[in-house]
Amino acid sequence: MDREMAIEVRDLVKRFGSFTANDRLTFDVYKGEIFGFLGANGAGKTTAMRILCGLSRPTSGRVTVAGIDSGNPEAIKRRIGYMSQRFSLYEDLTVNENLELYGGIYGMTMKEIRQRREELLQRLSFTGYCETLIQALPLGLRQKLAFAVAVFHEPEIVFLDEPTSGVDPVTRRQFWEMIYETASRGMTVFVTTHYMDEAEYCDRITIMSEGRIVALDSPSALREQHGTASVEELFVKIARPKNTNS
Amino acid sequence: MKRLLFLLKKEFRQIIRNPFMLRAIIGVPLLQMLILVPAVTFEIKRLDLAVADNDRSPDSRELISKLTGSLFFRSAAAPLNMADAEAMLFSGDADMVLVIPDDFSEGLAGITTPRLQVLVDAVNATQAMLGWSYLTSIVRDYNREVIMARGAATSAIPGISTSPRYWYNPTLNYKYFMLPGILVILIIAIGLMLAGLNLVKELETGTLEQINVTPVRRWELIVSKVIPFFIFGLLDLALGLGVGWIAFNIPFEGSLLLFFGCSAIFLLAVLGLALFLSTLASNRQQYLFVAFFFTMVFILMSGIFTPTESMPGWAQQFNWVNPVAYLMRINRMVMLKGAGFHDIARDVGMLTVLAIAFITLAIRAYRKRA
Repeated sequence: MDREMAIEVRDLVKRFGSFTANDRLTFDVYKGEIFGFLGANGAGKTTAMRILCGLSRPTSGRVTVAGIDSGNPEAIKRRIGYMSQRFSLYEDLTVNENLELYGGIYGMTMKEIRQRREELLQRLSFTGYCETLIQALPLGLRQKLAFAVAVFHEPEIVFLDEPTSGVDPVTRRQFWEMIYETASRGMTVFVTTHYMDEAEYCDRITIMSEGRIVALDSPSALREQHGTASVEELFVKIARPKNTNS
Repeated sequence: MKRLLFLLKKEFRQIIRNPFMLRAIIGVPLLQMLILVPAVTFEIKRLDLAVADNDRSPDSRELISKLTGSLFFRSAAAPLNMADAEAMLFSGDADMVLVIPDDFSEGLAGITTPRLQVLVDAVNATQAMLGWSYLTSIVRDYNREVIMARGAATSAIPGISTSPRYWYNPTLNYKYFMLPGILVILIIAIGLMLAGLNLVKELETGTLEQINVTPVRRWELIVSKVIPFFIFGLLDLALGLGVGWIAFNIPFEGSLLLFFGCSAIFLLAVLGLALFLSTLASNRQQYLFVAFFFTMVFILMSGIFTPTESMPGWAQQFNWVNPVAYLMRINRMVMLKGAGFHDIARDVGMLTVLAIAFITLAIRAYRKRA
């Protein structure tokens, strides 16, 4: 491969006591691609993502994110953006204030913050809500804003953990337009989801089951390999936990 | 450093926007001072005294009126007999029972030896001892009057007179003793409860996860939580002291600057401890339970009610790490005795060590993993 690497994972293992959440994961994410991370609930997606973001340490294996080894999580944190599964912005602050806070934390000046904030909110057609407290926003808008915060400081890689769960189809569509737009500007997008139609939007996907990677390729290649009509069908075929199979 | 300013701006915005916080910050000092200062007292007043007067003579009536005329005793219903008197002690209708035998006035006339019997409810030992000594001193006064009235030469029995001068609290006003201590409780309420809960709440609602995935430094986050509550704590202290001045006319002998300086160091120690404990807790219930426990132990062992010198050795050892014990002593020294820095230097030094230790511990214990 001569493509530049955004994330390299080799034999990543994460154990909690005797439970193995991630079992020898090995994969690469290329710069600028939309990389989908699929799996049933409890398959180990969030655990892996938290390790990539420096929120958790691997038990063993080698992880490099944005060219930095996972032994130096604080340096990784400077170069990534993260949107948690759980909504985690300050509900008692306004849209502007949340963006200001995170911009400031990533070392932007007030001038830069104002400028970029205006630009970003315009792009997300959010301008009418600048002075609104988050607690007054509907869920769809909150998720969009959480995304905005995650990419506000223009990170090299943005991690999205089930960004569209609980969101209506129209907003989901808009959300993916935002993701495309972001990726087109060169940002690498690492996204977990359990909506199979969303998997079709990704450049490449991996499917996890019981802590292991069971498939990794572009959606079309995977469909061909397994002879299925959709990713959903493929997922049901290969990602079902073994103990419920028989 | 600039990052810290952004974090501080966020904290202040959140506190100012939260109506509960504002109410707590203003309401707590007012209520605490106005309620606790007059209520928490060891002064014994108005004990219920039941008198079983079997003599019913002018002498016995005069003694009774002397007793019930004092501030210390309030007359309870007169018991009919001994069984009744015992029942009154048991039910709490009487704290003390004075039994005057039927030969009391004969005794005073010199025919027999005059005797009185006193039964005291000693569940509260301090109250029993004080009640007993009040009563005996009134009886002694009465006795002297009787001796003089009967014309016995008082000069033959020279009485030693001691006249006390009560220093630092000349009117023996219990409020002056308690108020400096209540001010300490005030700061600990703000510091330990509000600041610690703030961090655990962020953990619980998930906002801390978003912060943890940023390059924010641990000390920046901890300091951003310390500074707002530090400021509000000192404001509360000023408010509480103001109430003390206006409502209780508390004397203030020492330097205000020294007083606030020591409280500031104490507040840093308490905030450090609060944030350290909150890094160990995983939800608000856990934190509240632990913080409540620490608050209770710190306050009860600090010497606010009872002198630390009379505590067992291990308790006095414990007070080495009890910030409340230091400030309790400092406040009383500065407020009532007008002590200067030189007089309290050792306590100030120890408080400073604790403040540095607790804040370092909080920063060390904080993991950016949540």
